[in-house]
Amino acid sequence: MTRFLTSEDVRRANSRVIEVEEGTIVTPQAQDTAREMGVVVQTRGGTYREPAPSRGPDAAFAQRSLPHLPEPPAEGELASFTGVVVTAAGKNRPGVLSELTGALANSKANILDISQKVVEGYFHIVLMVELPPGSGFAQLKGTLECMGGPDDYVVRVMHERVFRFMHRV
Amino acid sequence: MPFTDREILETVRMIELETLDIRTITLGISLFDCADPDVESACEKIYTKIVHHARGLQEVGRGISADYGIPIVNKRIATTPISWVAAASATDDLVPFARALDAAAKACGVDFIGGFTAYVHKGFTHSDDALFRSIPRALKETQHVCSSVSLGTTKAGINMSAVSRFSEVILETARLTADQGGLGCAKLVCFCNAVEDNPFVAGAHIGTGEPETVVNVGVSGPGVVRAAIAKLGPEPDLLAVAETVKRTAFKITRMGELVGREAARRLGTSFGIVDISLAPTPALGDSVSDILELIGVERTGAPGTTAALALLTDAVKKGGAMASSSVGGLSGAFIPVSEDAGMIDAVRVGALSLAKLEAMTSVCSVGLDMVAVPGNTSAATLTGIIADEMAIGMVNAKTTAVRIIPVPGKGPGETVEWGGLLGTAIVQDPGKFSCDVLHRRGGRIPAPIQSYKN
Repeated sequence: MTRFLTSEDVRRANSRVIEVEEGTIVTPQAQDTAREMGVVVQTRGGTYREPAPSRGPDAAFAQRSLPHLPEPPAEGELASFTGVVVTAAGKNRPGVLSELTGALANSKANILDISQKVVEGYFHIVLMVELPPGSGFAQLKGTLECMGGPDDYVVRVMHERVFRFMHRV
Repeated sequence: MPFTDREILETVRMIELETLDIRTITLGISLFDCADPDVESACEKIYTKIVHHARGLQEVGRGISADYGIPIVNKRIATTPISWVAAASATDDLVPFARALDAAAKACGVDFIGGFTAYVHKGFTHSDDALFRSIPRALKETQHVCSSVSLGTTKAGINMSAVSRFSEVILETARLTADQGGLGCAKLVCFCNAVEDNPFVAGAHIGTGEPETVVNVGVSGPGVVRAAIAKLGPEPDLLAVAETVKRTAFKITRMGELVGREAARRLGTSFGIVDISLAPTPALGDSVSDILELIGVERTGAPGTTAALALLTDAVKKGGAMASSSVGGLSGAFIPVSEDAGMIDAVRVGALSLAKLEAMTSVCSVGLDMVAVPGNTSAATLTGIIADEMAIGMVNAKTTAVRIIPVPGKGPGETVEWGGLLGTAIVQDPGKFSCDVLHRRGGRIPAPIQSYKN
């Protein structure tokens, strides 16, 4: 059960100091009322701080069991790295591949596989990339997806796990 | 490469061109422990508890989107039905509770919060009664709050007195929000066999069997199914169509499963369900109506539409059930008229009547959704429309719902623009014959016999 301290509780307490149990949530209104009345709300340990959310009895079990839900296994080197799939498509022109691979190299990303096709002046490139531990997926995605442009080419960066879930059982 | 080019481009195309997305991550929060004899304290607790748990919801949604490259359109909140929480306060006015929900939604940055809800399929508690009275003003005075009521179940029958009262609630809500084309009614829905883990608004709430907090995910992808059937072409037989829908639904649902697990992990709570509803939007191609037409009817509403929809809904469920062990919510195909450009078009050309729409709801996953009727529609007529829909759900042991908008000042055939996701509606004619006596009688339609099915 969540324990709350409401502004009504503060008014009724009739005390300069209210000591709440650990895990109690003091409502913002109660904090305002306490401030107005000059009442100090504290825990046994000292200053009151909002506790971390207690998500309920099922949450702990879920957190233990979620990682063990079967999922399609990652193959080869991707088992230990963050796998990223980069796709680019647009009008063909010299330098596209070099721009992309240059940006990947700057992000310390290692290209595992690459495939490219050109049809009637338009290309698509698929790159399978691994990111070293600690380097940011979001940052790489941001950099790559800003490349090209509406009349040039577009880049899409997705996590390898999405493809694993969708195409492997 | 662990994936073929074809697989990779298929997924990218689904997201880029076929508007595949995670429609919603909905955090369910139990509010049972917020009950308080003092209304003000109860509302304080409700606001505080929701913000306490859902403060990080937007951030988690954005984080998953950024880390996986999957679009997540909405983050929403569902709560315990307010009529249960407010019962302890013994008040006739539950609008303050709606305001607390609204403020909490605003503080968490979510667009909708569901849970201004009552279960009255057998009868009213004082609190349910107060909630019914408060709905019109609650929807007028708040922006983010959605309201839903349970009016019937297969086990309990249909509470016709409640249906009649609900019709009056709809009319009053439309009147109070007349300046916005009766928009309040778009946030108001009634159910037969209400689903207690539905992540989609307006019916989102969490029921008695749900945990303290839970993440439910709604996936959508009419555009993907549409593209798959378009690619299949008109020659292959219906088994091939069903198989194609099933395979596509499988892939879509897998993405929901991934996001559900990840959202639950990041929020530190339990993963409830993936709702695999094909939920259309007014965007080009994101239409359930288009799918039906590709299956083989000239326009949605033509003879054969119900059969096509039955195939579609069932195949989506089968594909989804293989892809996730946590399929729940409403799962199937939504047919919200105003939100689906193809359906509005079908109404415009006279292919889709209200009567045909009702027939379609016997095999879709929800019911009469986002249907506009004239502003001067009587309460009795609304009662009849709702009762018909509830009866379909009750007898077929499925969920049905009604979200109907009597548009003030508009007559049959006229257009109303709500904009955004709610789209455009053409006011439909409910016919000139009434059901005043049925409306007046009240009482209950008994639960149907579950044997001797034919």
